[in-house]
Order: sequence, then structure tokens, then C-alpha cells
Amino acid sequence: MTATVTRPAPPRRPRAKRRHVSRQTREMWLLMLPALVPVLLFSVGPLLYGIGLAFTDARNTRVHETSFVGLENFTDLLADGDFWASFRIGAIWAVSVTALQFLAALGLAVLLNQNLRFRGVARVLAVVPWAMPPVVIGLMWKLVYHPDAGILNDLLGTDVNWLADFSLALPAIIVVGVWTGMPQTTVVLLAGLQNVPKELYEAGEMDGAGRWRRFWNITLPQLRPVIVAITSLDFVWNINQFGLVYVLTQGGPGGQTRLPMLFAYEEAFRYRFAGYASMLGLAMAIVVLAVLGLYLWRQMRENR
Amino acid sequence: MRIKSALAVAAVAALTAACGGGGGGETSSPNEPVKIDFLSLAWQKESVAANKQLVEEWNKANPNIQVTYVQGSWDNVNDQLVTQFAGGTAPDVIHNDSPALAGFATDGYLLDLSDKLPAELKNDIPQAAWDTVTFDGGKGEQGVYGVPFLQESQVIIANKKLLEAAEVRVPTADAPWTWDEFSAAAKKMTKGDTYGVAWPMKSPVNKTLNLALNFGGTFFQTAGGKTTVKVGPEEREVLQRIHDQLYKDKSADPAALGQGTADPLPAFYKGKFALLPAGVYLRQQVAEQAPDGFEWVTLPGPKGTTTQQGAVSQTLSIAQESEHPDEAMKFISFFLNGPNQAKLAKGDWLLPTSQKAAADPAMTSEENGWDVATASAKDLVVAPFLKVNGFDEWKSKVATPVLQEYFANKITIDEVAKRLVEDGNKVLERYQR
Repeated sequence: MTATVTRPAPPRRPRAKRRHVSRQTREMWLLMLPALVPVLLFSVGPLLYGIGLAFTDARNTRVHETSFVGLENFTDLLADGDFWASFRIGAIWAVSVTALQFLAALGLAVLLNQNLRFRGVARVLAVVPWAMPPVVIGLMWKLVYHPDAGILNDLLGTDVNWLADFSLALPAIIVVGVWTGMPQTTVVLLAGLQNVPKELYEAGEMDGAGRWRRFWNITLPQLRPVIVAITSLDFVWNINQFGLVYVLTQGGPGGQTRLPMLFAYEEAFRYRFAGYASMLGLAMAIVVLAVLGLYLWRQMRENR
Repeated sequence: MRIKSALAVAAVAALTAACGGGGGGETSSPNEPVKIDFLSLAWQKESVAANKQLVEEWNKANPNIQVTYVQGSWDNVNDQLVTQFAGGTAPDVIHNDSPALAGFATDGYLLDLSDKLPAELKNDIPQAAWDTVTFDGGKGEQGVYGVPFLQESQVIIANKKLLEAAEVRVPTADAPWTWDEFSAAAKKMTKGDTYGVAWPMKSPVNKTLNLALNFGGTFFQTAGGKTTVKVGPEEREVLQRIHDQLYKDKSADPAALGQGTADPLPAFYKGKFALLPAGVYLRQQVAEQAPDGFEWVTLPGPKGTTTQQGAVSQTLSIAQESEHPDEAMKFISFFLNGPNQAKLAKGDWLLPTSQKAAADPAMTSEENGWDVATASAKDLVVAPFLKVNGFDEWKSKVATPVLQEYFANKITIDEVAKRLVEDGNKVLERYQR
């Protein structure tokens, strides 16, 4: 950025100055390089490569010659019933997990913001699930849902195979999704709550506002920017969820929990249609951007 | 300033070089031993021990060819191999099963072994087993893409007490039950809380397709170079009969339906049902876990118009990009010679392909049903689906959900036929462009 601004200067100045500027620019680039190289190498590069692949018939094979097919993958995608089924499941998953996560986390955050005994301990405990990798969480919940030895069947006295039942599998993994994502949402909301000026509550109380009224008219509007930020982050995180569901159900039974990312994974690594899978990834990225764009734009507009 | 940034650049460059150069580039001087990676999928305790012991034996006897045992898992081996092949880091010797080989062979990742096989190994394994690993190598020519060594057949594991109490004819390897007799026996054994049979159908496809050959049901047909799905009267027989046991005779335990193959065992030990059709390997778990005093026998699989069953083999293959294919072949022929195959078969409770191994006295003893299991090897023929490119996708996207719904009595057999064929052909088309 600085380079383009300062560049018009040299022609009028003697050589020494030009050297100085170019040296400054060079140093800036050198300093940025350590940060830039990994970004280019590991993010931008693969991204562009993936976008490129989406318009070819690439397959993960040794004998296949890849050729450019234009939008064929895209038209195939639109006509693919399995994709739409997976997309629908992904939408149900992402929306319900994000919404439930938010509600539960808000409740927890308000609770942890009160002057409770052992508040410190409770706050630490609330963050514990955050410290676990998704695969460990998946394995743990698999044991909870285990049809014979699972603690859930034990508690309820039922004999249900939660993760293999056609209608129960999706709700079952949504519960896990909510549990997994709660800590970071809670922490962010708690930070937001602590930033709400005490005076507002005092003033509200003076005017005779009840608890509920104060929450609705002071806390929520004050929290609004935090809520917008965390729910949109959660949404992106959830729709791209992979590890957790892969461990829990691998997309089964009969594709009832096959989130879009699992679908793309299967296409690429099981059936080896790399081009098609890239188009799937690209389509999902566009959907996420569109949904987020719309949401953020509306929130911003209302804020004004 | 300058020095620091230069250092940073150097560090990044070194880092990326280290990351990028992980794969190939191993140049060994002539005196150094050749290194071979062996991906093994053994998972039963005895079998892992047998595998490791053989590798150790080999390494001691061949200081110039050192084999590294790499542990893999059946759950994700194909995903792992796709990535490793694409990245050029695949192991040299690969343990897998024949259904997976078709795809990898067509994609050009596996080495055609036809002219590398030593005669001794080749003659020890019958042609029927070699047929399970002979595929189109992607350019229209047939090649041998693995050495088949362990095979699985379907048997019926029975609760001896309940079997005797029912006073039915006890089938033998020479005179197995017909499907009618099987269903009648199951019906007779159904009393009160006890069911005659249990069909764990969490993964129904391979099991039903292998058994469908009893009535000549192949599920696939190839005409003019194009493979399509077919569900005619032959294919429907076994499906219908299992469905009848579940919903007409009500002789099959509905609780087992959603379970994996080994899941109904606790109920089996408790005598909740009498017969459990399963692969021969399941005998291992019964032998080891059954409570004291629980008596069980192995019965041969039922007979339709024939006793034929689809055969699937476990295999060892060599990666196309392996740098030491000849040494890898030497290791395989040691690993799979007669005596060693007998060890592996015992470890996995499966049937060896080697004729020498099958003659091993331990393979024909009555103990734990080895005699019945080994005798069933003669019924094994190449499962037709092995040769179908795209079978894996057909199986997981179409056949598994359709059969699960059928056995849950949610759809009729006509709908099954319609969906297997129509949705199935759409899937297969992708692979035949």
C-alpha cells in the first residue's frame, strides 16, 4: 500500500532519496514475507488450484487425462439429488446448531455473569469442551450414544440405537454440535455482557423496569454487535463441520447425516471425482458467502 | 534489520523445503539395505501377532531387504490409499481386499503382477482365487493386481442346545440345508421369546449379494462393454426369503436388524435366537467370548439351486510407484507361502487360498468348526460385483439404503428392484464415460 502512495515522488528528487524509498519498500516486503509466504503457499495457492479443478473433469487417478469441461460439473451438481439432500441436511444442521448454541450459550453467559458462589470454577468448567479436539468429542459422544453400553440408554432405560436410526441420527448429532460449540459462544457473550455499562441497569431500575424488561431493552441491544459477530462465525464453522460428524456417523445411516463437506469428501476420496468435489466445495463457499453477506448487510443496515 | 529479515526468509525457505520434500528422493547406496513399507490391516490380536512375527522372521533372514510393518485399519484404508497414491507416498506392499482392487487397478495405481509371480506361489493358489484379483488395468488389458490369500465364506453359527431341541436334520458339508429347510428350521426354533435366526443388516450389501449366488443372482450384467444392474427373479430369491423370515414367518429377531455383524453376539450367548448366519471369521469371537458352558456348532451355508457363494479375498498388492517391486514380490512370496498362510488364516479365522495351507491338519479339525469352514471353500466363486467399476458408490449410495429400508419393511421388493436398477445405472454411468 505505502509503495503505491510514495512512488510518484522519485522523479523530482535526486537518486539518494529514491534509493531510500525503494529500500523502505524492500524492507516492508521482507518483513511481510514470513507472514505472506505461508498464506500464499498454504491458503491462496490451494484455493486457486481448487477453483481451477472445479472446471475440469479431474479424477484422483494415475491414468486419467484431465480436461477442461467448463460448467459441466456445475450443471451435474444442480441435477444431483444426493447433493440437494446433503445440502438440505447441511442447512438444517447449521441453522439449528447455530441457533440452539446461541440460546444455550446466552443463558449460560447470563448465569455466569451473576454473582454466584464458585463463579470462577463454573466459568472454567464451562470452557472445558473447548479444550477437546473434535475427534475426541466424537469418540466420547459415540460412547454416550452406544446402543448397548451407552450411558444415555442406561439413563432413559431405552434400547435405542441413536446414531443408526434414520430419524434420530440427525437430532442426535445436532445435540453434540451444540455442546461442542457452546464454550466459545459463551465466552464471547460473557465478555460482551461485562462490557454493558452498569449505569444503564441502574437507570432502568430507577425507572421501574423489571428483570425481563432490563434484559430485553438493555442487555440485548447492547450485546447486538457481539451477537452478530459470534452467530455468523458459528454459522460458518458449523456448515463446514466435518471431523465431528465423520467420527460419529460417517454420514450414515443411509446418508441421513451426510453434511455437504462429508459429501465432498466422499466424492473426492472414495469415488475419486476430484473435479466434481472441488465444484461442490466452491458452491458451498459461495452459498456461505451469500448467506453471510445478506445477514451482515441487514444487521448493519438496521444498526444505522 | 536486514539480517533479521534475511534470516526469516531463510527460515521460511528451509521450512517449505522440508515440507515439500518429504516424499521421494531416497537414494540408497548399493550397500545399504532396501527398505520396504508393508501396510497391514490385521486387527485381531492373534492376527497382528502372526503378521508381526512373520515380518520379524523375514527381516532376520534378509538383512538386505528390510520390511517396515505399518499398521492400517479396514475402516479408512481406501481413503488413506487414495490420498497416499495421489501424493506419491503409498507403501510398497499393500494389504487390502479384492473389491477395492478393481478401482485402484483401473486407476493405474497398482502393479500388474502377472509376469512377476514365482511359479511356486502361482501354482499353490487355485485359479478361482486368482480370478478374484484379475482386473482391467484401465487400458483394456487384464492383469493380476494382487495375491489373494485369505477368503471368507458364509456359514451359520448355531446354538447347539436349541438346534438339538428343535429336532431338525443337522446339515453337513456334504448335505447342507436348502433354503426351505433353513427357513423351516428357523420357524421351528421360534418359541416364545426365542427366535430362530438373526440377521444383522447394518451393512447388508456384501452379505446378500454373496448369498444371492445360491440362486444364480448376479445383480450385474455386461453387454457391449457396458455394465448395468439387473434384479430379476434370481436376484430376488434370497432377498425375499430373508424378508419372509422377518415378516411372514416372524422367525428372525427384529432387534438384530440394525446391528453390525458382531453386535448380536451377546444376545446369541443368552439364547435369544438359535442361528446366526455370518462370515467364518466370526467364530473367533464366539470361541473367545462365549460364556463357559455355551455350546455352539458351525453349520454350512444354505443351498439354493447351488451352494455357490461370492468370494472376496484379502490381498497383498504392490504399488505401481514402488521403487523396489522385485524385492516386494520376494517378500510377498515368503509371507504367503503355505505354512505362513496357515498361520495367518488361523490368526484371522479365515480360509487360506494356498492348497498347502488348507491341507494343514489344524485347518480340518472339528474344533471350532474348522472342518465345515474349510470345506465351504469349494463353494466360493468370483463374486460378479468385483469386476464392476463404480460398485463402491453403487453400494453406499444406492444399495445400502435400499436394502436397509427393504429389510425394515418400509418398501416392497418391486421398489427395491426399481431403485437398485434405475438409481444404480445412473451411478455406474459416471464410471463408463
